[in-house]
Amino acid sequence: MKFVAVIRQVPDGESRLKIEGGKVDLGGVTMILDQMDEWAVEEVIRLQEKHGGESVVVALGPERFEEAIRTALAMGIDRAIHLVAEGYLDPITQAEALAKVIRAEAPTLVFTGGQQADWDSQALGPALAEALAWPVVSWTTQIELEGETHAKAKHDLDEGAEVVRVALPAVFTSQQGLNEPRYPTLPGIMKAKRKELKKVPVSASSKVEILEQTIQEKSRLNKMIDGKDPVAAAHELVRLLHEEAKVI
Amino acid sequence: MAVLTTDQKMVLDMVRAVSREVLWAMAPEYDRTGQYPWPQLKQLAQLGLLGMTTPEAWGGAGLDSVTWALAMEEIAAADPSVAVILSVTSGLPQYMLNRFGSEAQKKKYLVPLAKGEWIGAFSLTEPHAGSDPASLKLSAQKVPGGWELNGLKSWVTSGGQAQVYVVMARGEAGISSFIVEKDTPGLSFGSPEEKMGLHAAHTCELRFEGVFVPEENLLGQEGRGLAQALAGLDSGRIGIAAQAVGMARAAFEIAKQYADERTQFGQKIREFQGVGFKLAEMHTRIAAARALVLEAAAKKDRGERYTLEASTAKLFASEVAVSVTREAVQVLGGYGYHREYRVERYYRDAKVTEIYEGTSEIQKLVIARELYR
Ligand SMILES: Cc1cc2nc3c(=O)[nH]c(=O)nc-3n(C[C@H](O)[C@H](O)[C@H](O)COP(=O)(O)OP(=O)(O)OC[C@H]3O[C@@H](n4cnc5c(N)ncnc54)[C@H](O)[C@@H]3O)c2cc1C
Ligand SMILES: Cc1cc2nc3c(=O)[nH]c(=O)nc-3n(C[C@H](O)[C@H](O)[C@H](O)COP(=O)(O)OP(=O)(O)OC[C@H]3O[C@@H](n4cnc5c(N)ncnc54)[C@H](O)[C@@H]3O)c2cc1C
Repeated sequence: MKFVAVIRQVPDGESRLKIEGGKVDLGGVTMILDQMDEWAVEEVIRLQEKHGGESVVVALGPERFEEAIRTALAMGIDRAIHLVAEGYLDPITQAEALAKVIRAEAPTLVFTGGQQADWDSQALGPALAEALAWPVVSWTTQIELEGETHAKAKHDLDEGAEVVRVALPAVFTSQQGLNEPRYPTLPGIMKAKRKELKKVPVSASSKVEILEQTIQEKSRLNKMIDGKDPVAAAHELVRLLHEEAKVI
Repeated sequence: MAVLTTDQKMVLDMVRAVSREVLWAMAPEYDRTGQYPWPQLKQLAQLGLLGMTTPEAWGGAGLDSVTWALAMEEIAAADPSVAVILSVTSGLPQYMLNRFGSEAQKKKYLVPLAKGEWIGAFSLTEPHAGSDPASLKLSAQKVPGGWELNGLKSWVTSGGQAQVYVVMARGEAGISSFIVEKDTPGLSFGSPEEKMGLHAAHTCELRFEGVFVPEENLLGQEGRGLAQALAGLDSGRIGIAAQAVGMARAAFEIAKQYADERTQFGQKIREFQGVGFKLAEMHTRIAAARALVLEAAAKKDRGERYTLEASTAKLFASEVAVSVTREAVQVLGGYGYHREYRVERYYRDAKVTEIYEGTSEIQKLVIARELYR
């Protein structure tokens, strides 16, 4: 069996982004393996540990993606294919380029992040499935293989969850709760250097062009709660967090 | 600072993540209870962090000292007690075994230490012999098949917990280093000393009553023990200096954030020059200390003599740690004095960096001597 994770490198959510000349300036920003892709990598490694076979990561992006690829290799992935393309490519164009390589690899299944942290888009997984003409299960929280032909998976829906049986090969996208990714170990990092990382130049032209980017500015609401009656204040705080901020 | 390679960055990213998620969270609890942090050490061991600089052939990761120092800084920033245990086990016993040990000794002791299955300790100090280790008295008497050790050792980091002790003792040929296993008959341990800080890093007395050490556990050449210990300390001092930088940085970061949030007299306290300048100085001193640490580590990596640089870094970084952690408490005002805000712990933990692995005065002796070498 062969398990593939499709990964991307994105700015760390804690970094402060700047806009330079209408474009996001990534200079000085810490770039990391997209957290949702990290779940995908972890799941692929677990599947391989359980069922044997091979684990591969495929990434499409600029040279700098290599760091994220090395992280996946250090976590335990066997080898990597890096489709090198500088500049922005829309998800559909990306999916087409990725599909070519993935079809040639003929894996048992493909895992990728449920959402891409940088574009805040959920398109890549489904677009990849479309390009491959494979089924897709998005927001997967649990997966179990049934031989080489089918998988049983639990995935989130807007208002609940669903358990499905899907014919393989298929594309799965990750959701929080799928797993707790391991840290790469020091020997793993050292070994990653010696693992195969194939670079393939890609010349695709994006169907979408980014003309201008802005950062959403949110000013503080400076809401003060009168604290004379602590019980009432706590109730009011809970109400605001629940109804207005919608965080609890 | 020099640009890091991809490998170095990846190691540090991993160390930073574990430090934040595993060590930082539990550090106050370990400080309060004074438990030896075995669960934390086990987790670091699984990631290969207990034998960072030991060669891959001997179960380590074969990392360079620069990365090691930066990793030590991260770990110390999260939990200084874990950092000193790590600094000792890798900077002293592993370093000495790798450098002076025989193949058989490396196989038997270095491999489990580097893999983190065991913790190592270094035992030079005695109750009456601290700064002046040449005056140590623990006796090593030649007996058939080996030596018999009698006497006292004190202030042994990880004492009673470590499985392997590198012990300096005096015999007919002068001071030699011996490898002593924890459960050797005749070896017993005092209870952990009640210290100002580093509560989780146990330090205790070792009592030797007719402890038999077999021939094959003599480390390196007989009579070379003091020179070996001092070589070990050169390496260890880089670790302690990095530990000092880590504590200073952690306290500084807390103060920096606090000063941006706390308002008095209608403005953020960082906007008062009295506070802003304090933060500026703290930042500058930490950056300078880190540069000295990396300079010493880089020299070690190049295989050059680095005694001067290691002592310089240790002297400066430990003083920076003490002054920066004190100032951090000050920036937080009354809250700095409260345990919850963590800075008081760094202040308590930092002080010992001016004492162990050679007091600041001893570093000055070393530096003054090295200047005329
Ligand atoms: C928490 C902790 C952990 C430790 N861990 C270990 C360990 O793992 N292994 C180990 O072997 N030891 C360890 N030590 C011991 C440590 O290395 C000694 O405490 C240190 O070397 C100082 O020795 P001392 O305490 O006997 O002080 P002393 O040597 O008695 O010094 C007292 C004071 O006199 C000053 N002084 C001494 N000689 C001179 C001089 N010639 N010129 C100027 N001033 C001088 C010193 O600087 C100091 O200020 C540890 C100590 C502590 C506190
Ligand atoms: C153990 C203890 C016992 C106490 N007991 C009492 C008590 O019995 N009764 C009581 O009323 N209070 C008590 N206090 C409170 C104590 O007086 C305050 O902690 C102290 O006045 C500092 O105030 P703060 O902690 O709010 O710090 P802040 O005022 O927030 O100060 C934080 C930092 O900003 C600096 N700063 C603030 N303003 C300026 C400025 N204009 N220019 C430059 N720097 C500035 C401060 O010097 C400090 O470094 C106690 C505190 C402690 C820790």
